[in-house]
Amino acid sequence: MALREVLLGASLIYATVISTAAEMGSVTGATANMAPGDEPGQWTRQARDYANTRYSPLTQISHKNVAQLRIAWTFSDGQMYGHEGAPLVVGDTMYVVTPFPNIAYALDLTKPGAPIKWVFQPNPDPRAIGEACCDKVLRGWAYADGKLIYNLLDDHTVAVDVQTGKEVWRVKLDEVANGPTMTQAAFVVGNKVYVGNSGGEMGSTGWLAALDVKDGHIIWKAQSNGPDQGALIGPGFKPFYSWMVGKDLGETSWPKDMWKQGASSPWGWVSYDPDLNTIYYGTSNPGPRVPSQRPGLNLWSSAVFARDADTGMAKWAYQFTPHDEWDYDGINENVLIEIPWKGARRKVLVHFDRNGFAYTIDRVSGEVLVAEPFGYENWANKIDLATGMPVINADKHPIVEQKVEDICPPDVGVKNWQPSAFSPRTGLLYASIYNSCMDLTDHEVKYIPGAPYDGMEMERHVGPGGNWGEFIAWDPVKGRKVWGIKEDLYGMSGVLTTASDLVFYGTLDGWFRAVDARSGKVLWSQKVGSGIMSQPIAFLGPDKREYIAVYTGVGGGSAVIRHVKGYPPGGNTLYVFSVDGAGIGTGTTQLQTQAGAAAPVSTPPGAAHE
Amino acid sequence: MRALAALMAIMALASFAFGQVTPDSVNPLQGSAEAAAAGKVLFGKMNCAGCHGYDLTGGMGPDLTDNSWLYGGKPGEIFHTISEGTPRGMPSWKGQLTLEQIWQLVTFIQSKHAS
Repeated sequence: MALREVLLGASLIYATVISTAAEMGSVTGATANMAPGDEPGQWTRQARDYANTRYSPLTQISHKNVAQLRIAWTFSDGQMYGHEGAPLVVGDTMYVVTPFPNIAYALDLTKPGAPIKWVFQPNPDPRAIGEACCDKVLRGWAYADGKLIYNLLDDHTVAVDVQTGKEVWRVKLDEVANGPTMTQAAFVVGNKVYVGNSGGEMGSTGWLAALDVKDGHIIWKAQSNGPDQGALIGPGFKPFYSWMVGKDLGETSWPKDMWKQGASSPWGWVSYDPDLNTIYYGTSNPGPRVPSQRPGLNLWSSAVFARDADTGMAKWAYQFTPHDEWDYDGINENVLIEIPWKGARRKVLVHFDRNGFAYTIDRVSGEVLVAEPFGYENWANKIDLATGMPVINADKHPIVEQKVEDICPPDVGVKNWQPSAFSPRTGLLYASIYNSCMDLTDHEVKYIPGAPYDGMEMERHVGPGGNWGEFIAWDPVKGRKVWGIKEDLYGMSGVLTTASDLVFYGTLDGWFRAVDARSGKVLWSQKVGSGIMSQPIAFLGPDKREYIAVYTGVGGGSAVIRHVKGYPPGGNTLYVFSVDGAGIGTGTTQLQTQAGAAAPVSTPPGAAHE
Repeated sequence: MRALAALMAIMALASFAFGQVTPDSVNPLQGSAEAAAAGKVLFGKMNCAGCHGYDLTGGMGPDLTDNSWLYGGKPGEIFHTISEGTPRGMPSWKGQLTLEQIWQLVTFIQSKHAS
């Protein structure tokens, strides 16, 4: 071979490498801080990192072998309410917590079939069952300092020793008989665990609290509404938009005293920026849900707060849906990423709001950089970036005792609480979304403690195209959908991204899928027992093998479409997948019974006579 | 005739006290369209619809139109559930509703259940 041919060959290889790198590069240039930088095989908080990316650095399961994923083992917890949380993996143990009655299990990953190490039964007050608006769910739990920490439906937070399964502390944070419950996923940074209440439909008073991980005592508690003092709003509070600047707006933007039943409960997600020492979280809809009863902006409902993580003092806020008339809330996750923006890098949060707009917001200042629809909506024509205000379609205001037809989305939004994920490799976010509308008749209501403070009579129907759901990839810089996969029922699943450019999500009709992060091509699907509305994770077992885990079991807010054809019955099974279903003592390697006997090796039919 | 029926209903109501309603008690307003209409108003006004749905098919609370009753489906049992509440979070309404109003609600629920 002549030297020239060798050089030509080398340059061809070089060109191929370059073009592959370009194809494999980031679509948007967005990156994220993956603090606290847990070991790659661990999953110790619901979203894996403070930024809420849900990105796993694992690569064993790849495009090459993902089609060989099979069930390694399963675990059924016996509870039939909707399953929304993600398992945690700390060391060689997996921790799961059920919906009400909030039973915790430790599963030993070192042994065949991951047997139960301990079980903890907190026995919460069953009165909470009747007070939880949207099924008796729990969206997750946290590990910190040798403790599993989570919220009980009856307004307590509990900490359990991960070695013994014994209760370390339990604190009461609200009064369940009056309507509030707790379904939020506790979130830990350092010595603090952040928890918030639920009850947007119950006339509750929303709050977020920081508890001491050690003993559960309240370090600070910030009300969502009311005078500045209780809302921990002081001189350092600097909203970007002028209409949110003023004294005691959480009180004065309501009719007299109505903020007290104004809900604005932070029942979703908390994220944390270690460089800014700031937490970010959203608040629920205002109460009552009938807007004519509460003229005003109704601050700080349906909004995002940025707060000092240590003191709780507010830094800025932004109300996504001022004077929320449709129960859109603002509790969805805030994913913290860095993007290229007009020649510089900006620290932003990305938030898919229930109102149908995906916001990219400067998380230092609270300025909205991008706000574009990520699915079908018709209540607003756009978000005016000069003011941060939506430009509302005049035909879509609710009217008391009169049906207003075809408001899109309905109360549950274009996307509900189910969290999106981010991949720093593609620079894209991925989300399960809804495509639906409502005919709405409002009825005036009065506040009765412990009873709903609601008043929305809705007939929900499917949106354009006839598919209730979709799974999308989103460019947070340009504010555009990159691709979408239509699904029959609501997309209600959390998302997992991996370093091998795989994206995992589930469907309400019970399919668990792996898709190509760049093209959206479906690479693997497995039908599971019930539908999926939880949060998948990736982890390494003690055998250094990569596993993917996801809970099944429908319920929660998805039950608003329970009458739609194909909506499955509930369930309660955790599925754990690996390549070929291999694992510690599973499959063909599990030839002994747990009692130590040799398990019979099956004989092919007819073989016995040979 | 209508006045007579109303009078009989009032007399029947007067013969009850909260504690005297048993599972087998007859609804003194049974079948009364007026009572069902009054019950419907109460069902919205007292925020019952927030849990059980404006069409009574349930939501955060149970469906009241099917044949499955957690605490009994006889008129006296429905009365008892409304007046006393349940251990699973249904509030007690006897402090906020009169005897007659609870029977009106029972009548409304029965009217929906029959259909």
